[in-house]
Amino acid sequence: MRAREEGKGMTIDNAPVTGDASTRRLGRIGDLFVRWSFLVPSIVLLVALLAYPIFYTIDISFSHFDIASFGADEWVGFENYREVMGDYRFWDSLKVTLIYLVVALPLQVVLGFGIAFLINAEWRGRGMIRALFIIPMVVAPVVAGGMWRMILDPLWGVMNYWLGFLGIGPLDWFGDPNLAMAAVIIIDTWRWTPFIVLIATAALLALPKDVFEAARIDGANWWSTLWSVAIPLLMPVIAATFVIRWLGAVKMFDIVLAATYGGPGKATNVVNLFIYEEAFRSLRFAESAAMAVIVLILTMVLTGLFLRGSRKLEDMF
Amino acid sequence: MSTVVTPAPQRLRRSLGHKLRIAGGIVVSIVFLFPIYWMVLTSFKDQVDIFTNPPTFFFTPTIAAYVEYMTRADIVPRLINTIIVASGSGLLSIVVGTMAGYALARIRLRGAATIGLLILLSRGVPPIALAVPMFLVARKLGLTDKHITLILAYSTFLVPYVMWLMRSFFLSLPRELEESAMIDGCSRYGAFFKIIVPISLPGLLSTLIFSMILAWEELLFALVLTNRHASTIPVAIAGIAGDTVNGANWAALTAVGTITVVPVVVFALLVQKWLIKGLAEGATKG
Repeated sequence: MRAREEGKGMTIDNAPVTGDASTRRLGRIGDLFVRWSFLVPSIVLLVALLAYPIFYTIDISFSHFDIASFGADEWVGFENYREVMGDYRFWDSLKVTLIYLVVALPLQVVLGFGIAFLINAEWRGRGMIRALFIIPMVVAPVVAGGMWRMILDPLWGVMNYWLGFLGIGPLDWFGDPNLAMAAVIIIDTWRWTPFIVLIATAALLALPKDVFEAARIDGANWWSTLWSVAIPLLMPVIAATFVIRWLGAVKMFDIVLAATYGGPGKATNVVNLFIYEEAFRSLRFAESAAMAVIVLILTMVLTGLFLRGSRKLEDMF
Repeated sequence: MSTVVTPAPQRLRRSLGHKLRIAGGIVVSIVFLFPIYWMVLTSFKDQVDIFTNPPTFFFTPTIAAYVEYMTRADIVPRLINTIIVASGSGLLSIVVGTMAGYALARIRLRGAATIGLLILLSRGVPPIALAVPMFLVARKLGLTDKHITLILAYSTFLVPYVMWLMRSFFLSLPRELEESAMIDGCSRYGAFFKIIVPISLPGLLSTLIFSMILAWEELLFALVLTNRHASTIPVAIAGIAGDTVNGANWAALTAVGTITVVPVVVFALLVQKWLIKGLAEGATKG
């Protein structure tokens, strides 16, 4: 994120090069070679496995896909794009993804920082709680989806059993479109909030204590301290957390696949699952490629905007 | 002033707030850990104890689900596949990514900043945009259902990840370390492999473990690029969870889920100190 700072003197350039002019030049070329040799393996790998597939996707998205030869044959221009743009199912899946992102991301960031505040109260068990909070983070998302499907089961699930005590339900978590979306968001929040708690913990511990002491002496109450001292100080980290979580959330796939498989109907059919189905179940590779390119562009534009926004926030506070 | 005059109620109020915070922290932890506890518990239940209302907490434990799934289904080969792929992609990415992270942190290279930014942006590439072409290319080259395919596919997200974490790690090291080594006649490689790598071992190890965890739980590429011989555990779980014909087999789901989760949790707790540090730093400084 701070690539601008690169090359401003955090380098070792005074490699000892001795000898006459020709060996010096040789040494310099050799040194250049050595320097690049650190970066080249990853560039080769990522060009072959990341850049090339992306270009291939773009290529397919402009072509007619021949199922018999399993390859792109004829250039068709924007036809695939026209087709998917006219496909209401694609728009629906984008809408579902948007609802998920708009609800889940702020919820997780707020919860994450709130929980970090709670679990960092100083006492003997703090270290243990902090360690235990890592556990949901390393549960495979697909396991999380399956596990919660059992917990939220309308008939036998333990969630409805407990909600019964509160006089709620029984809720048909996977039969009702809104509840199914809620279920997906609950599972995702369960899986990812601990990650935000972790970052927030580091941020909270790095807060300067004297500012809070000063606020307290000035008679600021808890609420105004939170709003006018803590949150402005935390803003850069909150923004960074949001961006990181965004990068993960746009890949949403596993949890939905395991918990709802897009259902009921298409209520939780996020765009990644929709494209997956279109490509590998319906074998509509050209249309899927076009959709993947659209999603890729949307993601890149928004990521760029968020990165810029978070940098601006960093400058502001 | 008031704090000096009336210290007692002030302290009392603060300690009450403090107690509420601790209590809240404990409650939240229980809420977050309960689902895992429930999964592990269910995996030791009999069918009769699983499908009962109200849900039961006390029952005679049985390992029937484990025995059944370890023998009948292809869970063991899948476990081995998952281990091969996770270690392979973890090791590949840690070597390649660490060198790149070092280059970005310490070596002046024309255009390296742009490359670094591109690689950071690549973390936003949705895997589905890679899955389609990878499937087609792998099919053409006869590489579907092979471990190496998954290992390479996973390195697309692991290399940038390792690179970024290790870059911030190297930035936090004092520069005098390799400068003095190079003045003493060490080559760049020598300085890197003899000085930097050994003192970075804890950070490297935690990054490696976390990369392996990410590979361990990956689903989309595994679904697309494998079907029998190289298929992994997450694919099996997706299959069990999505089995709408027979209804959800919760005993199988929870048993396989527990097998998947337990080793990872053990590893994560072993390196939790470094994990917390590395992740938090990677996130806040990245």
